[in-house]
Amino acid sequence: MTVLIDNLARFLSAIGGFITPMAFLHIGWATLLGIIIGALPGLTATMGIALITTLTYKLPADLAILVLICVYVGAIYGGSRTAILINIPGTPANAATTLDGFPLAMQGLAGRAMGVATSGSVLGSFIGMFFLATIAPILGNYALKFQSYEFFWLAIFGIVISGHLTALEDPIKGWIAGFLGLLVAMVGQEGIHAYERFTYGTTELLGGFALIPAMVGAFGFSEVLSVMRNPPAEKAESPRDSIIPKLADVLRYWRTIVRSGLIGTVIGIIPGVGEDIGAWVSYAAARRKSKEKEKFGKGSIEGLMAAETGNNAVVPGAIIPALTLAIPGSAPAAVLLAAMFIHGLRPGPLIMIESPQFVYQVVAMVFFATLAIFIYGVGLSRVLLKVLAIPRTRLMPIVFVLCAIGSYAITTRFFDIYVMIGFGIVGYILRQMRYPMAPLVLGIILGDILDKNLRRGLVLTDGDLTPFFTRPICLVLWLITFSSILLSINPVRHALMEIFSWFGLKIRQLMDR
Amino acid sequence: MPKADFLTGLALIGLSLYVLIESWRMPRLEHLKIHPLSVPGLVPAFLASVILIFGTALVIRSILRGGHRLGFTLEGFRQILNKPGNRRLLLTAILSIGYAVLLIGTLPYWLATGIFILLFIILFEWKQGMDSATWRRYLISGILIAILASTTITLVFERLFLVALP
Repeated sequence: MTVLIDNLARFLSAIGGFITPMAFLHIGWATLLGIIIGALPGLTATMGIALITTLTYKLPADLAILVLICVYVGAIYGGSRTAILINIPGTPANAATTLDGFPLAMQGLAGRAMGVATSGSVLGSFIGMFFLATIAPILGNYALKFQSYEFFWLAIFGIVISGHLTALEDPIKGWIAGFLGLLVAMVGQEGIHAYERFTYGTTELLGGFALIPAMVGAFGFSEVLSVMRNPPAEKAESPRDSIIPKLADVLRYWRTIVRSGLIGTVIGIIPGVGEDIGAWVSYAAARRKSKEKEKFGKGSIEGLMAAETGNNAVVPGAIIPALTLAIPGSAPAAVLLAAMFIHGLRPGPLIMIESPQFVYQVVAMVFFATLAIFIYGVGLSRVLLKVLAIPRTRLMPIVFVLCAIGSYAITTRFFDIYVMIGFGIVGYILRQMRYPMAPLVLGIILGDILDKNLRRGLVLTDGDLTPFFTRPICLVLWLITFSSILLSINPVRHALMEIFSWFGLKIRQLMDR
Repeated sequence: MPKADFLTGLALIGLSLYVLIESWRMPRLEHLKIHPLSVPGLVPAFLASVILIFGTALVIRSILRGGHRLGFTLEGFRQILNKPGNRRLLLTAILSIGYAVLLIGTLPYWLATGIFILLFIILFEWKQGMDSATWRRYLISGILIAILASTTITLVFERLFLVALP
């Protein structure tokens, strides 16, 4: 009980800390910018946060992270507008939103659909925020027990699960992307003996590939390329009905909201599995449980609610492992994590000891960002339509200019611009061939953790691999990891199914006797 | 896709073999008396082995689906280049890379940025058979956007974020 009151007090004091004109100003512009970035097809949350990170160096750490979280929450919400109005998801997170959002708009109910998206996003965010406030401290304390063995498996587990879930139809591509990311992280001075790996004498590569230019390339430049390649989007029309969220919709579908919020949070916590998957899984679960299954895909309020609640609940969920394990739950959270490091914050297992207040500050940031999307959600309609009307031929060159200068600005090196271009081109090619980007990014972040902990663990045990497989948490992690890989190999899966059905049959025969 | 997978698989095999050789050649730092299992090449070699397995699996799978019959022809290549989407892609890539690699650092930043934005807008908005009045309108709005964007970005980064621009 006292812990609960303590935590509540910390949360309230964090809220109080942001009730300043300066903080409100930042919340205001950052959330609006986030919504605009999210609504513009081709500008994703990850790219937005990566670009804005380069604009927030000079801000104090807490305000900089506040800005980034506002952009994050805003972008995931903003994408719903485009999904509803022109059937194009503003960010990948809103792909499931198009299924019912656009049919509703076609029936002349665009305003109502936007209202549902607003209430879903706000409530999803709040549900995720509740779990961020309650789970993060527990996980943080629990993570203190983790040793090298656990961290090694956590890195492998993250890559394999993220690779699997972000490339469901062809998991091998997700795994390849993840392991390529890990390999990219091997470039530069390694953390144990300070040997320079794969640098070939260049000083620029000593520190490895900087994450922000790599992300700006993989999510920014590659997106500019694909937006320019695709045919232009249709023009959005103003909704004719009210965009104010209806309480009746919330009350009627409260079960869907709670379920989607929970699903989103859990998906968020899983490393490198982001908002898009959160929305799809929530949508699928809602359809399965729905009494009006036939309406799904034809303009179901419930389906839209599930997708939009699910994707926004992922945001706080994805921040949970980023804060407590320094392992991001999604691609945007990966940039957020990098930004925290840039600002001298040290997320990881020690966070609850070194700076417990920061965890609650982050909760408060999500709280304010959510309030802001609600306010903009109710008030903003025409401005956004104007922004959506900007032709891509005028927007994309400016986006690319920002990609270039943003990469350069961090350490004022030309080399980082080249890194951005390199990752942009490789990212574009990989994406065209259906390789997901999230595991790649996760790999770049986890590479160092994997490298240090595997070698440290081996030294500690003098080469004995047993603890890697027998410690309880390790056991769970490697079992899940290997079953994920084995089960996606068709012959293995069929063989296992046969064995299980044979056992099932035998048990049934025994029961019948 | 099988063709692309076949080629990617080969590239991955090549990459992993290269990393394996490089990892093997990395110093074992015996003179520092380090634990032999903490050598720098250990983890890259482990990762390369995993990629080698996945790359091989990708190649085998694509061969089973007929992806090894590449059948590249000059005509096919020309057809790919002639698709409007691919032309736009190529133009975007040339303009962007040209700006980032050649223009920045050679010209003053504001000028390089202005030229890039203007070129981008007019090259993409120009259409064959466009009448001169429309063309002039596009050109003027392109120039205005280029000036406005380049000045704002230069000022924001130079004055507000105190970045020494290239």
